[in-house]
Amino acid sequence: MNPLELTLGIMTAVGGFVDISELVFAAKAGSQFGYALIWVFVLSTVGIVVFSEMSGRVAIAARQPVFNLMRHRLGLKLGLVVLAASIVSNLITCAAELGGVALILNYLTGAPYALMAILMTVVLIVSIWVLPFEWIERVYGLLGLFMIVFAVALVAIHPPWDKIAGGFVPHVPHGLSSKELLTFGYFVVAIVSAVMFPYEVYFYSSGGIEEGWKPKDMLTNRITAILGMGLGSLLAIAILSNSAQLFGPANVDPEIPGSAALQAAIPFGKWGLIIALLGMFFAVAGAAVETCLANAYSIAQFFGWSWGRHKQPWEAPRFTLTWIALFAAALAIVLTGVDVMMLVEFAILFSILVLPFTYLPLLLLAGDKQYMGQYANGRLAKGLGWFYFALITLAAVAALPLFIMTSGGNG
Amino acid sequence: MTPDSPIKLVSELLDLPLFDMEDKYCGIVDDVELEGGAGKPLKLKALLVGPGAYKGRLPGWAMRLVKLVAGDRVVRVPMDKVRSIKSAVHLNCPGRDLGLDKSEKAAGKWVPRWGAL
Repeated sequence: MNPLELTLGIMTAVGGFVDISELVFAAKAGSQFGYALIWVFVLSTVGIVVFSEMSGRVAIAARQPVFNLMRHRLGLKLGLVVLAASIVSNLITCAAELGGVALILNYLTGAPYALMAILMTVVLIVSIWVLPFEWIERVYGLLGLFMIVFAVALVAIHPPWDKIAGGFVPHVPHGLSSKELLTFGYFVVAIVSAVMFPYEVYFYSSGGIEEGWKPKDMLTNRITAILGMGLGSLLAIAILSNSAQLFGPANVDPEIPGSAALQAAIPFGKWGLIIALLGMFFAVAGAAVETCLANAYSIAQFFGWSWGRHKQPWEAPRFTLTWIALFAAALAIVLTGVDVMMLVEFAILFSILVLPFTYLPLLLLAGDKQYMGQYANGRLAKGLGWFYFALITLAAVAALPLFIMTSGGNG
Repeated sequence: MTPDSPIKLVSELLDLPLFDMEDKYCGIVDDVELEGGAGKPLKLKALLVGPGAYKGRLPGWAMRLVKLVAGDRVVRVPMDKVRSIKSAVHLNCPGRDLGLDKSEKAAGKWVPRWGAL
């Protein structure tokens, strides 16, 4: 297996885990609750691995994208409801990522935020236009690996490894007030949502088709899902742990994405800061590309248009016009002046609400022998799939009350 | 399955992808046209492709929304142009002969043909 084949997983994971929401929520989780929320990342990571592998397997076995099959399986009406929900969720998320990239560029250059948002929209559109799919993956996935600086920074600050290890065991910290317990609950829900964003599976399965995966690539799919998402999770846990070690004791609330970059600046100085900001820039830009393409994939697949960036933009014109229009719509949201953090919170909230609608059809499809033949879900995939479906349904039910009661995790 | 075999319309035909004889993706079976009437045998006459065929399958407000995003064009594919029906429908002629490429062509006028690697 060519290591470059892993770039789909790396891009999905680096742009999926360590996107703008993750940067904020992992850092805030560490600052407020120490290492106590690490287990939620681990739990959610297994969930996203399960569903990513399933979506890749469906794309390979049925040789059709998930949204095509979803419409056939669910029917037009219910399929349209899922499409509408995922469009709104992905568009808000894309706007949050775009705002996040503009904010990072604003930190790096000092140039006005709105100007950077416009510039970045143009740069992202040009990059998708010019680069073939595999190069889009490589550029954003591999350059996003600058984020590894957060894991190196964690080692450099000599954290209490025993406490970090303790964070892997599911628990609720002792001695929390009822208000703090609710905030802890909100963070659990928000992390599950941020790790299992719906756009990740749409992007991943369509990406598998873009790469021309065939049944012989079942193993590549499995390894890509496990290693890619595992890497993303590791980086998110590093950000949380750095935050627990550096920000928590100093009572720093890493409210804005730039705060996370300081984690690398403390042990490594100016260069640590620059590398962290560059990693954040490429990871969040990659997430903006993923959310926008995932949305365009869904729309094109649902309506039966020609789609994919393995084709030239003019060979799939409706798909091309759709992703350009979606970037323009995301930019319009950013230019209304809405706060990036508010967009992040809405993206998290809306995503968790639509997660069950996203993952149920996938679970049904992957278990259907008529579509999947010998590649249908086995006992393990079925058991894990239903367990995670129950978990995200529970999280979806709890999300809105917790969001309101905790003012979006702000107590 | 051949076009003449008995078929379960909803589970085996509606919403299936459509490929032409060059294996080019041409859209989705959005509805079907039947021939016959009460007391007479029903026969599948044509497949309908394009969001315009959603009329009758969706409430009015949803149809207006779909029209805004995807238009309301419908292309009729006579059953004698269908080669096989499996997990996808395959045609025995190029999709362009039936006008299945018209919407993509129309959108293509807005997309420049340069600059991509």
